[in-house]
Amino acid sequence: MSASDDKLQEGATDSAINAVSRNHEKNEQADNAGGIVILFFIIGLAASMIVGWIVFPKLLYSQKDQPISFSHAIHNLEVEDGCESCHFFREDGTFSGVPKLEQCIDCHEEVQGESADEAYFVEEYVNKGREVPWLIYSRQPDCVFFSHAAHVKKGEMECNTCHGPIEDSDNLKPYQENRLTGVSRDIWGYNIGGFKKNIWDRMKMDDCAECHKKSLGVKDACFVCHK
Amino acid sequence: MKIDRRSFLALSIGSTAGIHLTPLPWKLMDDMSIWTQNWPWTPVPQDGAASYVNSVCGLCTAGCGIRVRKIENRAVKIEGLPGHPVNDGRICSLGLSGLQLLYGGTRVKTPLKRIGERGAGQWQKISWKQVIDEISKKLSEQRKSGNPQTLGAICNSDRGTTSHLLNRFLTVYGSPNFLRTPSVQSSYEIATTIMNGSSGTVGFDLENSDYILSFGSGLLDGWVSPVRMIRAHSIWKDKKARVVQIEPRLSHTAAKADQWIAIKPGTNAALALGIAHVIIKEKLYDKNFVEKYGFGFEEWKDEKGQTHKGFKQSVLENYTPANVAEITGIDVAAIISVAKDFAKSAKPVALCGSGDGGAPVNLNEMMAVHALNALKGAINNKGGLQIVPNPDYILWPESEMDKTASKGIQTERVDGAGGKKYAQARSLLNRLPEVINASSESPLQTLLVYNANPIYTMADSVAVKEAFSKIPLIVSFSPYMDETASYSDYILPNHTYLERYEDSATPYGSVQQLISLARPVVDPLFNTKQTGDVIISLAKAMGGHIAKAFPWKNYRACLEKTLGDKWKTLAEHGYIVAKKDKAPDTASAKFDFAAQAVNTDSKNDAVAPADFKPADLDGDVTAFPLVLIPYDTMRLASGFVGTPPFVIKTVGDYILKENDSCVDINPQTAAKLGLTEGNKVILTTPKNKASVRVHLSEGILPGLIALPRGLGHSAYDKFLAGKGVNFNALYAPMTDPVSGLDMTWGVRAKISKA
Amino acid sequence: MKNNHNNGKAKKFGMVIDLDKCTGCGSCMVACMSENNVPFKADETDKRLSITWMLVYKLNNGKSHPDYDECYLPRPCMQCEGDHGHSPCVSVCPAVATDYSHETGIVSQIYTRCFGCRYCMAACPYHARYFNWWDPAWPADMEKYLSPNVSPRMRGIVEKCGFCFHRYQLAMDKAYYEGRDELEEGEYQTSCTQACPAGAIVFGDLNNPKHAVHKIALPDSKHGGRPKNPNAFRLLERLGTNPKVYYLSSRKWVRDSGDNYRPDEK
Repeated sequence: MSASDDKLQEGATDSAINAVSRNHEKNEQADNAGGIVILFFIIGLAASMIVGWIVFPKLLYSQKDQPISFSHAIHNLEVEDGCESCHFFREDGTFSGVPKLEQCIDCHEEVQGESADEAYFVEEYVNKGREVPWLIYSRQPDCVFFSHAAHVKKGEMECNTCHGPIEDSDNLKPYQENRLTGVSRDIWGYNIGGFKKNIWDRMKMDDCAECHKKSLGVKDACFVCHK
Repeated sequence: MKIDRRSFLALSIGSTAGIHLTPLPWKLMDDMSIWTQNWPWTPVPQDGAASYVNSVCGLCTAGCGIRVRKIENRAVKIEGLPGHPVNDGRICSLGLSGLQLLYGGTRVKTPLKRIGERGAGQWQKISWKQVIDEISKKLSEQRKSGNPQTLGAICNSDRGTTSHLLNRFLTVYGSPNFLRTPSVQSSYEIATTIMNGSSGTVGFDLENSDYILSFGSGLLDGWVSPVRMIRAHSIWKDKKARVVQIEPRLSHTAAKADQWIAIKPGTNAALALGIAHVIIKEKLYDKNFVEKYGFGFEEWKDEKGQTHKGFKQSVLENYTPANVAEITGIDVAAIISVAKDFAKSAKPVALCGSGDGGAPVNLNEMMAVHALNALKGAINNKGGLQIVPNPDYILWPESEMDKTASKGIQTERVDGAGGKKYAQARSLLNRLPEVINASSESPLQTLLVYNANPIYTMADSVAVKEAFSKIPLIVSFSPYMDETASYSDYILPNHTYLERYEDSATPYGSVQQLISLARPVVDPLFNTKQTGDVIISLAKAMGGHIAKAFPWKNYRACLEKTLGDKWKTLAEHGYIVAKKDKAPDTASAKFDFAAQAVNTDSKNDAVAPADFKPADLDGDVTAFPLVLIPYDTMRLASGFVGTPPFVIKTVGDYILKENDSCVDINPQTAAKLGLTEGNKVILTTPKNKASVRVHLSEGILPGLIALPRGLGHSAYDKFLAGKGVNFNALYAPMTDPVSGLDMTWGVRAKISKA
Repeated sequence: MKNNHNNGKAKKFGMVIDLDKCTGCGSCMVACMSENNVPFKADETDKRLSITWMLVYKLNNGKSHPDYDECYLPRPCMQCEGDHGHSPCVSVCPAVATDYSHETGIVSQIYTRCFGCRYCMAACPYHARYFNWWDPAWPADMEKYLSPNVSPRMRGIVEKCGFCFHRYQLAMDKAYYEGRDELEEGEYQTSCTQACPAGAIVFGDLNNPKHAVHKIALPDSKHGGRPKNPNAFRLLERLGTNPKVYYLSSRKWVRDSGDNYRPDEK
């Protein structure tokens, strides 16, 4: 809608005598109103941009802390086989993922060191035989099949290609869960725009496909990764 | 500054434009599509480490080896155990669905005590301690009355330690009334006792046979050892062995056979004798075997010096192909050619016991068929019947008996088995309802039911229920709420076979002597107990010599002690094959064609094998012009285990439609009755009536109707209860005059439009 | 045409079912249900609504007694290749929820991708596809037996047999772990093949002349995989669906039931 439209409309209903002066007044008003319209447009634009980029992610994700603090860095220094010391392949070629209490107990039957967290871990979980309810950042929905063997053994990829330099982290970041899907924020990535700097910043299907296309040169059948 | 409508429009346009410059719409769309793909009520099975547990299937007596796949502590799939002598990695549909029984809704989760009317389904939870206390007190009181023989037990097998513990409990208590569920093996046992003088059980070396003459045995319909039989069938196909199936309906076995002979039902014995006639007449029998081992083939003299006709003469005189053709409705030419084919084969075998072998056979038929094997030397020879010694690894010291026990154990069994009339029978459960209903006070005051569901599986359900209602105390050990459990006073739920240790000895029909060990695949889900443990606890609670007879701490200790040095191997491999170099049972290396053991009345050779007596079916021919016969299918379990949901799903809509059983009728018969496919009709027998649907089939002789076994349950859950008709409810058993077993093969019936 | 990236040759997994040995016992059906988290409901007697990826048909020769004869025929998904992957179902799916894998020759079905239009069901000449009219329910504790290797489906989508593809993936995982790229014949077998008491089902790579399936069926790659074994046939051969399930029968009427013939033909 523009001022000239208004002129036509209003002009048609008003008397001819007042038409000119009124039209003049109207034009001034319209210029003024145009400014307000633009202002409101910008307000709307800015507000929704703020909502979309800043508020929305906060609303979309709930935040939880891991049950106990954990340092990959410390563990990585202690173990001999790197990641596979705890995140190992089973004999049938499947991947164990997050360690079970059973593996922790190998070293943590007794309290190690003097950290309060360590004491809590031994008391609450080891002594009571309860599994630690770890929140898994890289857990995919049920429809996804992922073969670690194909990537790590056959493809000879490094763990941190997808998981990032997790071995250097001193603590576990808060786990952010998508309230709609129940999936971890790490899958979409922390950039709500879906932009990534590193391969490991995102774990969506497009990211898998990108790499598959690049390194294998083909589009796979759907059920290579879906079940 | 005036804020007007335009400002709002600008604001909303700005917001709309702005929101599209953020990831929100795209991200939300993505999230929503993920959300719609993962409804919270669609389960997500937890992943974890996979492992396998080797064990033994407990759903029938075949004893197949199983291998259960587990994810962490969940059992997710049952597979056949590769290398196992019975099934070598293969498995039937029932075995595959075991997890639906384990995790299903028909489990009894804790000991229960009845509080309402019997069968009304009102129960009170009770602790194990209290239930053992209450039952042991009742048993002690009952025993004090001086009639310990009023305690009875029903069990599907007399093998394995749990059955032995139960039997031992009865013995020291003072009762001989351990009743075993009958099957075709009961008939084979009696036949071998009479004709071979051996108490061993019959194994079928069918993998090595080259001509299989089956008198209605549903070799591919669940007979004796279903998976093994189907495996054997494939071997026959590969080596071109010939299978001839003799039965009035085209079962799966008949459809797969090289020749299907549609015989008039109930005339198998006549055909067997007709075949014997041809073989003898043409001198095609194994002279060496008959002369060396046979007795009574030629004329013979008894102890008193009286002369009797031999089997040869009787058969030659009375069973000419022409006579037999008239009785059986089979062509003379067909009889002669089958006889010649059978006789000319290198390793022929003749089998009987119809359907899945769950029902016994009349003794005349059994002996006539057994005689055919003898004529060809197919006894204790490769490809034939093998008399396998009974398992002997359970060697417990003789239990101490008190006066009451010694007296009680001497009383005659309630079912008459082993008595004067039915000397050869070991157990005659089929006679129990008749005996109880004939007396004012039930001769059994307490009944223990283990691995059996008699209220469903026994003939004439009305009479069975009446009999059971007269028994003051019924205790069921069933892990599932089956018909008998629902009609009991206490349920002391056993673990399912996937939660317990239990040995099982040589399965019926097996040639190899096996011991298998079932092991807990998962920890018990509920407050249940191994029945062996319950019996030991009961005995200990009763104290005195009864407690002394059970010196074991618990069932597991008893099992380990019993198995001795075999325990370790069994715990590792799941099964042991006893060495085959054991000499065959020499006592069974003879064959009595005269069946002297049952021919005490020497004037007429009343029950000679060379005899066929047409059975008189219950009911009037004009009122009931049709004959109803039952049939078995691999897709329905008709024994003490109810068919699980997966298996019911495989049942054709020509067997079960909605909640109606379908009966097979020949189109000719149907046309006469004015019936077409799918008609709802009332099926009436002299005993009962039921609503069924009509299924037209060219695979059944005119004048007959066939009803599948295994439907018509009133217990279990919505996946089984109320579906179809139970054949057992439609007939009254016919007792074989010599063996005492039920010899029903059919019942008169009529059909009228609903 | 897509290539495979699996180093070795492209596989073409297929089945030969010996109808002379099949006894119609139904083990394959239950082996399939228990392997693939197939749901069940109280009344399964309306067979159009009953989900059975593997279904044993009962055929008869249409004659009267005593010439009447029956035969049992197990029917999994035929994994049609059509003409270079132009399977009947794949070509009609608007959502790319079903796809032909040139690497394995298996027709995939991705449940989360499917939106339930059922075009594929209309297109499938073998009735091998099933629609979930209801949400699946596993009463009591039965959810515990669900396999994590196969996703449970939801209401409103189509499902079908995929030759237990998850078993292939598990077998490949093991192979990769052991440093191999190729599987032995026995390493990847479907659940029905493994369970069949008769051993009537043989499964393997039709492209591999050492595999039993190839030796028995003798597929003629020049003629759309048509079997050279005179006792072998495929269902509806003349539709050109190029299925990967071969049947064996020594009975002519059974072989003839595999397709529609005019009375005056042959």
